[in-house]
Amino acid sequence: MRRQERVDGLARHGLGEGLVVEGLSVSLGGRAVLSGVALSVAPGEVLAIEGESGAGKTTLLRAAAGLVPHSGRVRSGGARPAMVFQHHALARRLSARDNVLVGALGRIGFLRSALRLWPSGELALAAECLGRVGLSAMAGRRADTLSGGQRQRVAIARALMQRAPVLLADEPVASLDPANAAAVLGLLRDLARGGLAVVVSLHQPELAHRHADRRLRLEDGRVVA
Amino acid sequence: MRRGLGWLALAAFLAWCTWIVSPDLGRLAAGLPRLARWLAGAFPPDFSGPGDLARRASETVAIATLGTAAAAIAALPLAVLGARPVAPWPVLYHPVRALLDTLRGVDGFVFALILVAAVGLGPFAGMLGVALHSTGSIAKLWSEALEAAELSPVEAALSAGASRAQAAAVVLLPETLPQTASAVLYVWEFNIRASTVLGVVGAGGLGQELKNAVDLLDFARVLAILIIIVAMVLVADRLSGALRRALL
Repeated sequence: MRRQERVDGLARHGLGEGLVVEGLSVSLGGRAVLSGVALSVAPGEVLAIEGESGAGKTTLLRAAAGLVPHSGRVRSGGARPAMVFQHHALARRLSARDNVLVGALGRIGFLRSALRLWPSGELALAAECLGRVGLSAMAGRRADTLSGGQRQRVAIARALMQRAPVLLADEPVASLDPANAAAVLGLLRDLARGGLAVVVSLHQPELAHRHADRRLRLEDGRVVA
Repeated sequence: MRRGLGWLALAAFLAWCTWIVSPDLGRLAAGLPRLARWLAGAFPPDFSGPGDLARRASETVAIATLGTAAAAIAALPLAVLGARPVAPWPVLYHPVRALLDTLRGVDGFVFALILVAAVGLGPFAGMLGVALHSTGSIAKLWSEALEAAELSPVEAALSAGASRAQAAAVVLLPETLPQTASAVLYVWEFNIRASTVLGVVGAGGLGQELKNAVDLLDFARVLAILIIIVAMVLVADRLSGALRRALL
């Protein structure tokens, strides 16, 4: 119970405005990929971004996370949003625990992290984050020995480790079977209930309908609904 | 048309090389009986003074091993500086690459030749020569492994606030461990072979013994040394292969 409170406490860490995006535009190679997108997500809320492949969902999330150059404004309570990548982006040879600790690198000095001298507080937090995604027993397992669903949960734990108020998940269930997809989306929903503002891109409308509080549709880089 | 020109250019190049080398089959024919005489005189191989042979063989292994280890340590920062996705200071990328090409371009034998003059005769000069050349080789192989690696975990680390150096040290280096360790083993194996001739310039190892034997036209001794060299290279090859397989 105490562990649950501490992780939820992390989620509440940045309680405030959630995520506010205004006039977000991205051009890649001279082509407009996003044009004047605006959205807002409150803490405790799950917003699903729907759209066909190439509609701009990934670019929207990557721009909101500051990973691609863009124009417009992105506000996320003064902290960088945490990102869950489409294909989990885990280091295959690292353990689940070390992958989660990657989320804390912004708070740890070079030498300590390079020598794997993780601060005890961060180790405890990583254990809690893994517990939150139901993978405590897998902490020592190498990422490449985990199933697809487990890897995506580790990726979520890594994002939690950032203690960010906003969590952006790019097609987190694209490669998962229906049961695992439902479990991962249920987990994101639980995290939102704990105080995070969650934005998740999905191309299955039925999943968006079932797991999101609000939905937003992108077509050709513009919000259409 | 273009293919024809290519063949023509190749033929011209080979002709130029032939002109430079001036191969003389007559001289080869005259030399063959001499070689046959030496070969006949090489049996049985002369393994006398096994202590000396063992000491020289140990020097060769030590030169190769310590040279490779020192090169690996020096190569680590250079590989990171010379790998585009993680280079912390992109402005240093081209200078570092140029340095690596220079180190690789000069053979360890040549470095040893110069270093013998600087630090004196013996295996230390050989080890330094091996280390200098191998630093270029290992850093180049490592930076290529870093550049070819899956970069999404690095991007995830950067998006979590990691510095590029942190992303390289914590994520990329462990991810590329099979390739990087394999590169070191490959270079070590190469260095065992290369170190056998360093003694020719006075830089220690079996090469020293080999040069003495050739100077004295003692071909039974030469054969014994060649047998030891082949055995060492085979053992190094098998050991390195087994370690590489274990790392995958």
